[in-house]
Amino acid sequence: MAKVESPQVTRRTTRSCSASNDAIESTKPIEPYKPTLNDLGFRQQPLSFEDLLSCLPGRRTQVLELLGLLGPVNSPMFPILVYGGPSTGKTSVTLQVFRHLNRPFVYSSCVTCYSPRILFESILNQLLFHRKNSGNSYSSIKRCEKPSDFVNYLREALESVIKNLKGNSGKLSSEVSGQPKGTMIYLVFDNLERVRKWDKSSTILPFLFNLFDILKMPEVGLIFISNTSPDTYYFNMGFVEPIPLCFPDYTEDDLRQIFMANQTNRKLYSSFFGVVLRPFCRVTRRVDELSAVFSSLFKKYSQPLSDMGVAPNEDMKRRLFSHLQPHIASALNETFQSPSRPLLKDEANRETKKKCSSRMSTIHEDFDKIDFHMSTSAKYLLISAFLASRNPATLDASLFDSTGVSDSRKRKRKPSEKSLEQKEMTELELLMKGPGTFPLERLLAIFQCITSLAEDSLDEEESHELTIEGGSSGLMSDVLLQLSSLCNANFIIKGGSCPLDGSTRYRTAVSEDLALKVARSLKFPLSKYLYRR
Amino acid sequence: MGKEKEKENPSQKALNLLRTRLSNPNFVFKPLSDSPDSNYSKLKFIISSSVTEACNNSILLLGPRGSGKAAVLELVLSDLLQQYPEAISVIRLNGLLHSDDNCALKEIARQLCKEHQLLFSKVASFDDNSQFLIAMLRECGLAHKTIIFMLDEFDLFTQGKQRLLYSLLDAMQSVTSQAVVIGVSCRLDVDQLLEKRVRSRFSHRKLLFLPPSKEDTERFLEHILSLPEDSSLPHSYTAEFNGRLKNVLADERFKELINTYLSFNSTIGQLVRFLFQAVSYMDLDVGFLSLENFKTALSSTQRQPKSECIKDCSILELYLLVCMKRLEVKEQNSYNFNSVMTEYKSMHEFQTSDNYAGNVCLRAFEHLLQRELISFTDNRGHNQSVEFRPVKLLISPAELHQGLKSYRSCPAILLKLIAR
Repeated sequence: MAKVESPQVTRRTTRSCSASNDAIESTKPIEPYKPTLNDLGFRQQPLSFEDLLSCLPGRRTQVLELLGLLGPVNSPMFPILVYGGPSTGKTSVTLQVFRHLNRPFVYSSCVTCYSPRILFESILNQLLFHRKNSGNSYSSIKRCEKPSDFVNYLREALESVIKNLKGNSGKLSSEVSGQPKGTMIYLVFDNLERVRKWDKSSTILPFLFNLFDILKMPEVGLIFISNTSPDTYYFNMGFVEPIPLCFPDYTEDDLRQIFMANQTNRKLYSSFFGVVLRPFCRVTRRVDELSAVFSSLFKKYSQPLSDMGVAPNEDMKRRLFSHLQPHIASALNETFQSPSRPLLKDEANRETKKKCSSRMSTIHEDFDKIDFHMSTSAKYLLISAFLASRNPATLDASLFDSTGVSDSRKRKRKPSEKSLEQKEMTELELLMKGPGTFPLERLLAIFQCITSLAEDSLDEEESHELTIEGGSSGLMSDVLLQLSSLCNANFIIKGGSCPLDGSTRYRTAVSEDLALKVARSLKFPLSKYLYRR
Repeated sequence: MGKEKEKENPSQKALNLLRTRLSNPNFVFKPLSDSPDSNYSKLKFIISSSVTEACNNSILLLGPRGSGKAAVLELVLSDLLQQYPEAISVIRLNGLLHSDDNCALKEIARQLCKEHQLLFSKVASFDDNSQFLIAMLRECGLAHKTIIFMLDEFDLFTQGKQRLLYSLLDAMQSVTSQAVVIGVSCRLDVDQLLEKRVRSRFSHRKLLFLPPSKEDTERFLEHILSLPEDSSLPHSYTAEFNGRLKNVLADERFKELINTYLSFNSTIGQLVRFLFQAVSYMDLDVGFLSLENFKTALSSTQRQPKSECIKDCSILELYLLVCMKRLEVKEQNSYNFNSVMTEYKSMHEFQTSDNYAGNVCLRAFEHLLQRELISFTDNRGHNQSVEFRPVKLLISPAELHQGLKSYRSCPAILLKLIAR
């Protein structure tokens, strides 16, 4: 759904909410564009009823219910809460229904309008046909922060708009196309669930829900769109609930309709779809996620074909399926793919080899499989951060002793029942607690230790693959710079300061897999240094 | 909904009429206020006597949301404004908007200025405004004009220092002023929230708004849904509409349906909302209300969002939910994604299907968070990554079990796992 309607929807949202886009628009003509009453409509050719249903596959009942609740022209309505999971077509359906009905409405999303003030001002700007541009130095028409001011301004603005609309509908004979119909004006609040996080939502949310009763204007319709169901809005205050309208997730049949909509070779795609839909629906039924996976998988599916327009027969289907099968298994276990761009040629060769046997992944193939570039010292820094947050600080001395590592973990006692239980407890605790924090000094100490160790080992092997230019001092010079860039990339998180000495503490969020990969790319024996409980 | 049909289609007109009626509180509450012992008559008597006798008064209107407190008050006020147009001025405040004292006084000053054609200054301070209010009260008292303060969501005015309430009620203690303070609230214990100095100045007059009786409801349904004889609608259509409506209303099944609804939501406001839904389901081609419309409306009000949410989940998400439930049964008092993941892996020791990698599970876990089937147990630790923050289930094990049973293609192993 989102895929089908996305150009229109984005156009709509940018028009209503962002100041930057308006600015770009207004630089082109000399005279800035003056919005009129027509701009409260959808600004595009109204859809016929059949088109409306066909462009929203799988949402027939919801469209009909919404049309019923909005009612015929000029009939008042109660507030509605449209809810359903992400990418179930809530916003698309609402906006397209308004396009079909060609009635005036004001759309504001609580994502782009991220604070009460911006939300209020965006609504008022649209109602009063105000545009931010360089002429008014990108300011809103009214400055209002408090709900009380907003209600006063809103009432004024609505009254004038409704008066205009009534004046227009009086001269029905000259029905100009593009003129919105009816004397009702609808306020659409998208992403309402965001409001719950605003200043603890103590005032704004009850205010919005009670807005209909506060305004007491039957010509105003309120539509709330939310990701979460109405029961997540219960709080102390209470309100007359808006009428709920549920958008369930798409079923498999709906998904088929949606994905088949814009395909050139329908037969080929439907045979592809029969293969992939089942397994992927067990993981997720969200259109946005599925469409990303399916588009890349379909490319692989049709790779052996020379002619894309061919209708597949049974034999070909079987061959294509066996070609695709390994890719499905790997795609199922990936959340998103980034095309890796190997820097070295032999790495590229290895990549292609890997693809041939991607089902049987061995440890060897995981070598150097980092999809991003990182300097050597940053890699070492990352490893030392990982070690610092996983290992207890008391063991540092024994682990990084110049005498070596191997001796420190010799003692092996026969585990008693109690110690086993204790071990389980600590394991559980470790799972719960997550990585520990560490001060900067400890990080730098470990960094120095492991870089010096690595240099020694490199010298011994006389390897030219990884050369660290300069000595340890050279590595140290920009280490703080590297640290800050790692912080920016969210590999290392700057935590709160320690309550005792006030120094900043760090923590790393990298998973063990990633750390192992990085270590392998450096040929650094990470597992030797990792303390396992 | 073709354009050419618009003019002559009587059913559309009838629908418009019904919807207009339902969203007009004056129409809704008018017939319920005829009898002499209704709240309407009581309230009207109290206010009109304090207007005519030029005394101060204060009342609280209490009742659940949607019971028509504000609507009845508006009815009374509009009647009195017609009766004594010169002797009343109304100030309307709402606790949701004006719970802040400063803001409230500003709004009072604004409305007073508007009413008396005075110049309102936006920059006036709290002191200026409160002095202005007291001066206005005195002036109006001398001119024998009653100022009626209507404080909607009265309970919200009791937050903080209650300076507004105190200054209003204190000003009413003097002989010269002439004002009525009417508080409207859903909290029945609202007078307990008042400070001592405010409470002692408050007359403890309360009007309680109760849900309508059964007979009243029946009369009300007929009044609001039947079409008027003297409208522009064709006579034959009106007659048939009303005839069919009578049949529906007399139907035993309908009575049962309304009783079911009223046992959950007893106030007039909620009944009106229900009727609105039923009316909006009316088929325009048929043009008459049928029992089916009410049935659909009832089923859409009796939704179970959480179990619907489970129906929307994918199989993997169900696995994670079952894992969490198992952890709870094991009396593990707090758990996070990592511990759920170990449980998930242990479930897959013996079977291979639906065994996904950690990152895919993490995404499903995030979907569950988004659906609000699970949530973080605390708001602390924002810099901690998702995997490590402790979570909790927001549905009961019974709900989960029920949801799994009604799921279309739930794997049998899941049902087995949750039972154990």
